[in-house]
Amino acid sequence: MLACPMTTAVSITTSALTRTYGSRRGVSDINLAIPAGSLYGFLGPNGAGKTTTIRVLLGFLRASSGSARILDMDCWRDSHRIKAEVGAIPGDLRLWPWLTGKSALKLFGRIRGRDIITRGHELAEVLELDLSVKVRQMSRGMRQKLGLILCMAHDPRVLILDEPTTALDPLMQERLRQLLRQRAEAGATVFFSSHTLAEVEELCERVAIVKQGQIVADSTVTQLRSQAVHEVTIVWTPGGTPEQVPACLKLSKQTAEVWKGALASEGQANMRELLAFAANQPIADITIAKPDLEAIFMRYYDE
Amino acid sequence: MNIGLIQRSLREVWFASLAMSGIVFGITALFCYAMPRVQARFAQRSFIPQGVRQFRDAIFGGVDSTGANIAEIAYAIAWSHPLVLVPILTHAILVQTRVPAAEVERGTVDVLLALPVSRWNLYVSETVAWLLTAIVTLGAMYGGAYFGSMFINPDIRAVATPDWGRLAMVLANLGLVYMVVGCVASFFTTIIDRRTWAVLCTLVLTLFSLLVSFLYTIDPALEFTKSMRFLSILDYYKPLAILRSGDWQLRDMGILASTAFTLWIVTGIIFARRDITTT
Repeated sequence: MLACPMTTAVSITTSALTRTYGSRRGVSDINLAIPAGSLYGFLGPNGAGKTTTIRVLLGFLRASSGSARILDMDCWRDSHRIKAEVGAIPGDLRLWPWLTGKSALKLFGRIRGRDIITRGHELAEVLELDLSVKVRQMSRGMRQKLGLILCMAHDPRVLILDEPTTALDPLMQERLRQLLRQRAEAGATVFFSSHTLAEVEELCERVAIVKQGQIVADSTVTQLRSQAVHEVTIVWTPGGTPEQVPACLKLSKQTAEVWKGALASEGQANMRELLAFAANQPIADITIAKPDLEAIFMRYYDE
Repeated sequence: MNIGLIQRSLREVWFASLAMSGIVFGITALFCYAMPRVQARFAQRSFIPQGVRQFRDAIFGGVDSTGANIAEIAYAIAWSHPLVLVPILTHAILVQTRVPAAEVERGTVDVLLALPVSRWNLYVSETVAWLLTAIVTLGAMYGGAYFGSMFINPDIRAVATPDWGRLAMVLANLGLVYMVVGCVASFFTTIIDRRTWAVLCTLVLTLFSLLVSFLYTIDPALEFTKSMRFLSILDYYKPLAILRSGDWQLRDMGILASTAFTLWIVTGIIFARRDITTT
């Protein structure tokens, strides 16, 4: 179980949250404490448990054990009160085919009891969506834009987004990131689920990595990087490959031309040993670098 | 109750409801025009075969039709004929198998449940939308009867026109049958996430319930099914008795109303408490 950082204003908290589907695993022992106004990435491959967690947060599913709270309200019992303050977009967004963008804004506004038309039109301009088109005539990308507009038009305090950049082109992905940053600056919490590492790295300050229904890392991107061991790539001059691998290195690839791997563990001693070893070898090229988020993520999954 | 949700539901079902109302209007008008003529011819005969009489009595919920006049029998048949009942009850099944099963199948349930309304609020709003469409569909039946009666041959019009107030009471009785079927459909759609299965289960149960009334008329060997007639919704639908006496069939209507209400509450509790997602 990972310790959760304590903050004064926490928007989303889960405590030992577990959800199973009969004998099938869903998520287990999920602990989150997401501060208000933060951009939080929820990272994991398909089937890791991201959507299950979101469904519990939105009150679609009841937790098997543990608790989930948003804005200090219980996600199951107070679900409808929470949703007044939450904007959510599901991973596989489907909308009623007879809606147009305009009629959707009217309808959702009426259901929410708020006027969201003006803000909806502003968002449609940013995302370049024609609101007069019917959903049944929209492309997947257009539907996704409409879904995003509908979940943001009421200026929610919490945004729960399940793979929201699906079907968006790179330009629109960037516009969405800008919108989300603006929302976070205004104090809203963004819970951003994705299996695309690059966008989480680009947007989020903090990230949790989910593996087989459990959180295996929960930290800021900078901390994750600093905790990660240095990656090492050594290219040997022809015929110069040594026979023995020093203890400070843990190799994942070892050929006559190239050694690829990482420090056995992060620390000054191993780094010094590596540098001393390298100084006496016929090396053509050497790279020692901190890994990017993708490499960190892959390492968690390889373990 | 949420006005936006009611509007959403009405937008979803308006076409099917109007189409079904048109069918109900047409069929009822035709029956209410033709049945009095047929019945007038039957009335001239001194002998009506036992099988026909039995079948007729079964349709009338076990009420003996001896001594009933042309208008009473003609309108009781028109208002309990399967050709009229099937579209009416189909409407109830179509509308009531939408949430959550059809929304789950279509993948829109996640958007619906992400709205800031409680499950009970959603359930009540869906019910209100259904009842509004029911008024139109059942009203089409009454309107169809009135429209058809306008074209009855003037020679028999005096004896072939029903008491319209009593016919409205029959409509109330039929409305309760409609509500029971709708609530059964709603129950199945709430416990099964596949609309086709929910429709199928409701149809099988409804057909069984209708058939129980008729089985004993088909073969004497099925006489034992008479004791099972309490399972038939037609046993609680008494158009002939109401048209003849002008009295509310309070016991039967009470049973129908309490069955519908109990099913509605049970379904609401299940709907509010169960996990609902697209997959």
